This record gives sequence, C-alpha cells and structure tokens, in this order.
Amino acid sequence: MTRTFSGDGIYIAQRDFRQIILRGKGDGRFAETVNGEISLLPPKDNLRMISNENYLFAKQSFDQWSLICLKNNEEEALSKMINTMNSNDEILASDCSYGQAYFEFSGDKMKDYLNKLTHFDFRSKKFPPLTIAQTLIARIDCTIYNLEDKYLITCNKSYEDYFKKRLQDTIDL
Amino acid sequence: MTDNKIYFKFDGKRYGGNKGDTIASALLRNNVKLVGRSFKYHRPRGIYTCGIEEPNALVQIINEYNEPNVRATVKKIYEGMVVKSQNRWPSLKRDFGSVNNLLSPIFSAGFYYKTFMGPKGFWKNLYEPLIRRTAGLGKPPREFKSKSTHLNHNVDILIVGGGLSGLLAAKKLAGTDKDVLLIERENEFGGILKNSNKVKSINDQKTSEWLEKTERLLKNSSNIKILKNTTVTTYNYSNHLTAIEDRSVGIEPDNKKPELVLHKIRTENTILANGHIERFLSFRNNDLPGVMLAASFEKYIQRYDVVPDNNPVIFTNNSSTYSLLKLLIDRNCIPRAYVDVRDLKKIERETLDLLEAHNIPYYPKSEIEGCDGNSEIKNISVRTKKNIMLKIKASMLCVSGGINPDIHLFTQSKGLVKWDEKILTFKPEKSFQKTITLGSVSGNFIFKKIIDEVNQKLNFIDGVNDIDLKIEVNGSEEFNIKEIWETKNNNKSLWSKSFIDLQNDVTTKDLTQAIREGFDRIEHLKRFTTNSMGTDQGKISSINALGIVSKLLKKSVSEVGTTTYRPPYNPVSFSAIAGRSTYEFYDPERKTPIHPWHVKHNAVFEDVGQWKRPWYYKKYENETMNEAVQRESKQVRESAGILDGSTLGKIEIKGKDALEFVNMMYTNSFTKMKPMSAKYALMLGEDGMVKDDGIVCKINDNHFITTTTSGGAANVLSHMEEFAQTEWPNLNVYLNSITEQFATFNISGPKSRIILSRVFNNIDFSNHKFPYMTFNTFDYLNYKVRILRASFTGEQGYEIYVPPKYALTLWERIFYYSRDVDLVPYGTETMHLLRAEKGYIIVGQETDGTVTPLDLNLNWMIGKKKKDFIGKRSLTRSDIIKGDRKQLVGLIPIDKSYGIEEGQHVIEDENIPSQIDKPIKMLGHVTSSYFSPTLNHSIAMALIKEGNRKIGSQIYVSTSNMNVIPVEVVKPNFLDPENKRLLS
Repeated sequence: MTRTFSGDGIYIAQRDFRQIILRGKGDGRFAETVNGEISLLPPKDNLRMISNENYLFAKQSFDQWSLICLKNNEEEALSKMINTMNSNDEILASDCSYGQAYFEFSGDKMKDYLNKLTHFDFRSKKFPPLTIAQTLIARIDCTIYNLEDKYLITCNKSYEDYFKKRLQDTIDL
Repeated sequence: MTDNKIYFKFDGKRYGGNKGDTIASALLRNNVKLVGRSFKYHRPRGIYTCGIEEPNALVQIINEYNEPNVRATVKKIYEGMVVKSQNRWPSLKRDFGSVNNLLSPIFSAGFYYKTFMGPKGFWKNLYEPLIRRTAGLGKPPREFKSKSTHLNHNVDILIVGGGLSGLLAAKKLAGTDKDVLLIERENEFGGILKNSNKVKSINDQKTSEWLEKTERLLKNSSNIKILKNTTVTTYNYSNHLTAIEDRSVGIEPDNKKPELVLHKIRTENTILANGHIERFLSFRNNDLPGVMLAASFEKYIQRYDVVPDNNPVIFTNNSSTYSLLKLLIDRNCIPRAYVDVRDLKKIERETLDLLEAHNIPYYPKSEIEGCDGNSEIKNISVRTKKNIMLKIKASMLCVSGGINPDIHLFTQSKGLVKWDEKILTFKPEKSFQKTITLGSVSGNFIFKKIIDEVNQKLNFIDGVNDIDLKIEVNGSEEFNIKEIWETKNNNKSLWSKSFIDLQNDVTTKDLTQAIREGFDRIEHLKRFTTNSMGTDQGKISSINALGIVSKLLKKSVSEVGTTTYRPPYNPVSFSAIAGRSTYEFYDPERKTPIHPWHVKHNAVFEDVGQWKRPWYYKKYENETMNEAVQRESKQVRESAGILDGSTLGKIEIKGKDALEFVNMMYTNSFTKMKPMSAKYALMLGEDGMVKDDGIVCKINDNHFITTTTSGGAANVLSHMEEFAQTEWPNLNVYLNSITEQFATFNISGPKSRIILSRVFNNIDFSNHKFPYMTFNTFDYLNYKVRILRASFTGEQGYEIYVPPKYALTLWERIFYYSRDVDLVPYGTETMHLLRAEKGYIIVGQETDGTVTPLDLNLNWMIGKKKKDFIGKRSLTRSDIIKGDRKQLVGLIPIDKSYGIEEGQHVIEDENIPSQIDKPIKMLGHVTSSYFSPTLNHSIAMALIKEGNRKIGSQIYVSTSNMNVIPVEVVKPNFLDPENKRLLS
C-alpha cells in the first residue's frame, strides 16, 4: 500500500517494508550469519548505513542494527531468515515489520518541511547521505534514513494515524 | 476608496489610513493623539514611540478574538480592522477610573503591600477580587483557536537586525559556505536608514538605492535565508534563539493559516545588529499625549510619511536630534522651539546654523520644566539657563534623552555589559557565548566606524573578504550628550507627576520614596516600585531610573548596576509557544490496530499514557459507564469477553545468559521453569518496592518474552537495558521491544475455549494439551500467532498475540465465530472490576512506589533460593520487615447496600468529629473499589496498617460527606478462591 501526501516541494509516500532489529556484537559469527542471509556485512560505524537493492542495513548503536527489507518478502521467507539468525546464540533478531510505519520523503523542500516538525539538523554537513539518526519528529520517536535524494522515516505503528494527521496538517498550513 | 486607502475603526469611529500604516501612524494621520488610559492612575496617554518599545499605546483588536495589549505602534492596519482603547469606562475621553488620579497621592510605591494587611478575611473576600477586577489593561481574548506553527533552523550564523550593520555583515558573508539566517523585525530592511535621514548617501547612491541593491544581492545568495516581520525574543544557552514571525502583517488573520510562526534557531555564531532604543526624560507631566520621542517622531515622517505635528517643540540633551530638525525644516515644518540641556558651546555648529537660518527660538543650557493640558499638551514650560520660566504654546514635544544600545538579547545570552561614561549608557563588554555585536548595539554610534567594525569583527570567519563603504551623513558624526535624567519640577501640585515608567505608572517620586524606605538595591527597588516590570521592560526608561537612583544614592551608575533583562524581549503569544501542540494535537496519540472497530462499536476511550484504550462500550446511547461495566463484567463471567490488550509492553530477551538475566530482573525463579511455559512475575526497584509486573514466557533458557504494564513498557525496557549494559556487561543478553509488533487480545470467560476452538480449529485447547500458563506459536492462515493460556479475570482465559497487520481480521473472525456464544467486548474499567474480584493488583493502583511484595502478600512470588535479584537486599531492611507496615486487604461493607469510595481513608474510629481539632488516626486508604454484579455487593481493596492481623475485624471507611461506613476486613480474593474457574 502506498498512501501519498504532497504539497509545494514535498512528496510523502507511505511504504510497506519489513524490518528486523538485530542485537549483538556485530563481528565474527554475527557478521557471518547475517552475511549468509542477506549478502551484506553489518556496517561498523555507528549511525552508518549500507544498502543494496534488497536491503537497507544501518547501525543504530554499538550493539544494535536495523535491517529493512525493501522487497516485499514472503512471511515464510522472512520468518525463516529470522529463525536462522536467532539460531546463532550471539544474535537476537526480532521481527518488527508490522510494528513500524514507513514514510518516504522527497522533494526540494523536504528539509524545510521536516523542520516544521523537528529541530533536527538536516544539512548534509551534519547529516550526510547514507547515515541515520533517531530523533523526535512531531514529538514522537522516529528514525531517519538519509538516502541522499530522499529520507526514509519510520515510527511506531501505533502513532501512524497521529503522524499522518500531523504530516497533512503541516502541508495544509 | 483608492487602492492605498484602508479604513478601520477605533473606538467605534471610522478612520482612513494608508497601506502599510500602523494603527499609531494611521491615528496620527487623523490627528488622534489620545489612545489609551494608564495602568494605575487612568491618566490619558498617547503615542510615545514608533516601535516595539512603546509603553503607552496598547490597544485591543476586537475582530481578532479581542486580542489585548497590542502595540498600536507595531500592528499594521487592514481593511475592516476594529480597534478599541483599553482600561477605560465608559469612554476614553471620560473615564470613570481617572478618579484614581485624584486619589493618586495615596497610591505611592508599595501601596498594595502596606494597605491590604487587614482585617483578617478581607484579602480573600474583598481586596483580592477587587484588585483582580481592576488589574490589567485589556480584557482576555475569547474563543481563540490559533494555528500558530513552529519552524526550526540550524545555521552557522544568525544575524539579528537588517539595518546598516546587519546588512553589511550579511553582505560580507554572502557567497561563503556559511549558512546564514538574517532576521529583520520590520517588513523592510534598513533600520536607521529608513527611520531617519541621518545618512545622506552610501557609496554615492541614495540610501534607498543601496538598500535595494544590497537586498537583491542577499536574496540571490544561496547561503542566506531572510526572515522579515520577525522579532528575536529569546537568546538561550548554546546559541539557541527563538523568534516570532508575524505572518498576518497588514492583513486580517486567516483561521486556516498560521498567524504566528515561532522560529527556533540553533546557530554556531550570533551577530547582534539589533540597534538601539532612544530613551526619554522625566519632567512634570511627561506622560501627556503629545509627548513623543524625537527619533520616533522622525520615524513617523520617514517611514509613514506622517508628520505628527507641524510645529513641535524639540527637547534634547544630545546631538542626535539634528536629523529631526533638518527633516522638519526640509518639510517646511518649523519647530516652535529647540530646547537643549547642553551648553551653547557643546551644541553642534550645524544645528545652530539651521536654527538661526530659520529663526527658530532655541534655548541652550535649558530644560523643559513640564507640560500642561487635559487630555493633550497645550502649553510647555521651559526653564532657561538664567532660571527664567517661559511658557510655549504647542501641542507636541519631541524628547531625546540619549541612546541605549539594545542590549536585551545580549544580556539574555549572559554577556556582560559596562557603563560608558562618554555616551552615558551600558554597552556590551564581554560575550558569554559566540556572540558578536555590531553597530549601535555595541555602542558604536558613528556610521563611518561601522564598516571597520564589521570587517574587524567578522574576519575570523573563513572565506570572508573585507568590504568597503563610503558613507555620507547629515550633520555631525560625533555623538555628544550631557547627563540629565529628570528636570526640576516647579509645580508642587499633588496631581502633577514626573514619570519614570509609563507603563506601570511609576513616578520619580516613587523611586525617592523607595530609597527612603530602604530599598536601595536596584533589584529590590525594581520590585517594590514595579519600575520596568511592565511588558515593555522599561525599554525607554530603565536606564533613566538607574541614573536617578545613582544620583539619590550618590553613587555612579556602574556602582548601582543594572537590572536583568529577561526573555522574552517582547510579549509572546501563548499560541505561538504552543504551536500545533493544541486541541487535536495536544498530545501524540497511540492507537491499537483494533481502534477503528472500537470506534464503530461505540467505545468510550480512556487515555493510558498516550494510548487510546476502550474504557467501556456503550450498548445504547444513554448507557452510563456504570451500567456498561456491570453488563460487560457479568457477561464475561457468564459467557465470554474480549479485551484489546495490545498496549501491553512486550520485550524479547535472548542470549546465552538470558536465564540468569531474567532471574536477576524479577523476584521469581525461572530456573526450573519448563520451556513454553509462563509465569506471572514481579519486578522490583533497587529499593525493594514493586516497580512493574507482567508475564514471563520461557521459550528456552536462552530466549524469553516478557510482558509489562502498558504505561511501564518504556521504563522497564530502559531499566533492563541499563542493567544489561552497565551492571552486568558480562552477561551475554540482548533485548528488543516488540510491543508494536504484536496486537494482543485477552479472551476470558467460561466459553472462551469454545470460541478459540472454533477460530483455531486445528489447535487442541483442552486442559490436558493446553494447560494454564503455557503458550505456543501456531501457523494461522499465512501468519503466526502466539497463544498463551493466562487470565487477568480469574476466568478460563487466553491471550492471543498477532501481528498488527492481521489483527483486525482475526478480531472480527473471533466475533464471527462467537455469534451464538454471546462474546462481549469489554474495556479497561471492566477489566479493573474483574481483576479486583480476584484480588489481582494493578501496579500504580495498589502500589505507589512505597509498596513491597510482602505488603501485597505476594511472598510466594519471591524465589527464596535465588542467589540474588534486584531489590532482594532491600527486602531484608528493618523498615521493610517490620510488622506494622501497610498490607493489602479486602473490604466488604457490613451493610451490603453501601458502596465504598476509592481513595477514601480507612480508620479505626466509628465517628468522625464534626470539628476536627486533633489528627484522626489513619490506617490507610482504599486502593480499588467496585460494585460486583456477580457478588451483588461492593468490594474494595485497601492498604492498611497491619492489614493481615485485622482480617475478620470491623473497621471504618470515610465517605466524602464526612460519614463512615463500617466494613469487614477480608482476604483480598472475593471470588473463586480455589481458582476453579481459572483452571477449568
């Protein structure tokens, strides 16, 4: 499902992605197991992100990673992947797919638009491409993935209605 | 009506103004000088200034929800605007409140503090209501629903002020790699270049041409963002500033668009180029309409093309009034007289030449003694250097008492200021943050020096080059001033006053009196007299007060010191501060995936944290909560009920040391627990007090899933993380919140098994296969559900965990399969009742941070053989194990027709005396109370001293009407103590 909002210089699309939160040390068997599943090595630097056509893989803290599946994986396939990861006792892989809402922001005024809702510094010298940040947007916890020409912003699913109303309200005002 | 003509109403009368006019300039255009009444004495007041510093001309905008205390000197008019004067009744000209002026001799400084001391009871019943009714200027706004918004900025350099200095700074930074935000208070750049004719030309061009070119350059610079009509109001730590942008300048506010925008700015460096404010002088009746600051008079001519008076008298102690004099003469408006405190030799040659060339009477080394008139000036008294008194017939007086750098923001930033004896004012001395001051705010009143200052102070910035500026000024460049704060008053009338604070009606006499009464510290004096405590913060007068006080105390001004300028710089509307966090967005809302179903089925919602939880469901329009709860709970006990428990916190715990970790976090022991079983668990703080509870599901020794209370989810996770990361880093354990990943349904009641067997027809729900406190994960359609057999109602019950994407479908399927079973949706209130019947606690209701598991009789939940767990040591403290602690018990009214009120006191005495003259011994309080439809009487739980020992005895519960209800103390388990229903 893709629901869109648009205004002057801002386009927002809601996406249906899947997401796994990984906890662990990130090296050795962790990296090996994860790489075996998604053919990507976990990013080592905090708040850095790597991606390929299937996944966005971001390091959220010293022992936490977020893996966003960009392709619409089958329930069974994802479940199998999580089980494989969890079979490694050095990894906790939790399926958070449906507990999150995913929004893509683009347009030449997306930064100005977002700064109506958050104090976060979007200037590329402070928030370079392929990095992530966790901050408050419209007073709720969000994660921002900087994809250079667009941002992917996720928030808890329970806030989805509120967040969408705030997004629309900000466009209307 | 021509294109430029705008009509508005002031006190019911229609006036015309020009586009771009403020209310003040439009009123002056119509020769209206009386615009308000003063705060305390209701004296007639006029327009004193031409800007934000205005103390007098405050009006109410009727068609903007009665917006009060609007500065007429700032607010622009628009077609149809309705303006009303304030603080007068029945009319501005004939104000009943002006009787206060007659009584003014008794309203001296500290009047309130000294007068309203007695008799006892008068304060509450007479004085306070009376003072509250008369206090304030405007009336509060009505039905105000603002759409103000917030906007955040992160920049390298913020420039406050788009006058000459600010523009030069911006020009210097144009094209660099610095992100610059330039903020201008007015709707056009220029500052002093627009307000006066002090500058003749810049770079051989007219100032207007230079301004146009500069603005064009700045607009074309990609690194410079410009905000006009924006006032910086607050300068906080960490170079964080806030500014208010007025988006409805000169237009009627549109309800659908933001009227105000609160800009929150975070910057590396701040350049303050916000100029200066002219100050006034104190003399007899210096508040009469017609007295105006000289620079403001000039600004009305320059900015608005309004000459407030063709033949004013000019009164000055400094050289800055030359430009006004010249401007008036150029317009063929010949001042009635020119009165200068300075000696003839000190007055600039250019000024004298002008005066002499146009035969204007001038009086060096002279001063204005006072003004006379009823509602505006008629005569002005001048004391000449030979002490001869002259009376000049005039209707306006232009006053200049000197220039103050506008240091409000600088001092808010914690910058230090220093008194300058030459220019007689405080100016910035040392920055506390990365703050640079430029131009007159830094005490630099000489135009030709500004460019050097800009180049020198900004050269530390990478990539900037020096810029040139050739500036030609009218008159002398030097600023020359003679110290004077108040003139000598000849008229000893009790009703003639020399004001020091026009907004708060503080006179110079009040200052003298305050010092006489011992308030000789400037901060004490300020509070005693309320000097400079109005919304203008004494912008035109606070330095004068320091000057007068220094003379009275025979100290220098720098010894007296300055008071603190506090944010905001000018009044800020609450709507701007609130932004969109009002009404529908007052607080973020969390909704469960079943929310639309709840709405459709007439749920009334309860806020639990930010969650919207169904409180109860109305079966019919007029059903009360009590009726709904009785119906729902009865149906659960008789058939089955379903609760949306999605808000429960859920945490996944995994790692080689997960078992040890869980054992440490909770009081229970999980070591011998079988895989795929569950346990009700208690979490304590380090103080041994109950922190949270929930169900721990053990997948295996390395993998657990726990639930938490809805409100405690985030705290519990961070509590666990803190211990995992800082106290026990040796443990290999990881945690994830999965609260949002699963919706949770609690199905309870004797028919719950039947329902689930129909929905999940491939699962055996029999006691044997699916015993109490076990769980499993099942494939259902194309997704997985986890089902746990547990109950919070005491009935046979199950919890279903399902991904939110599929939750609503499953919820509806459950109802579909329950068509003949009478499944009832129930809300949190019914849940509370059902659990209370079983004596189950709710953390936060039966506990309050001072309750241990022992107090709750939950000793059985403590793993006695466990080596350690958080809070264990505290449970052995003498205070925790002493016998007379409060313990949880049940209460049943002796007369079962009575209800017990939640929160009431539990006492031993049968009677509460009508007059309580000594403390009544309290045993404790009622934590929960409900009427049980199953038991057909009230039940309650209470925490009372030595509760366990009192079981079987009779005690009393107070009522809200000071009666008591006799109750029997029982064990807190009112229904099915053998758990037959639960385990059926």
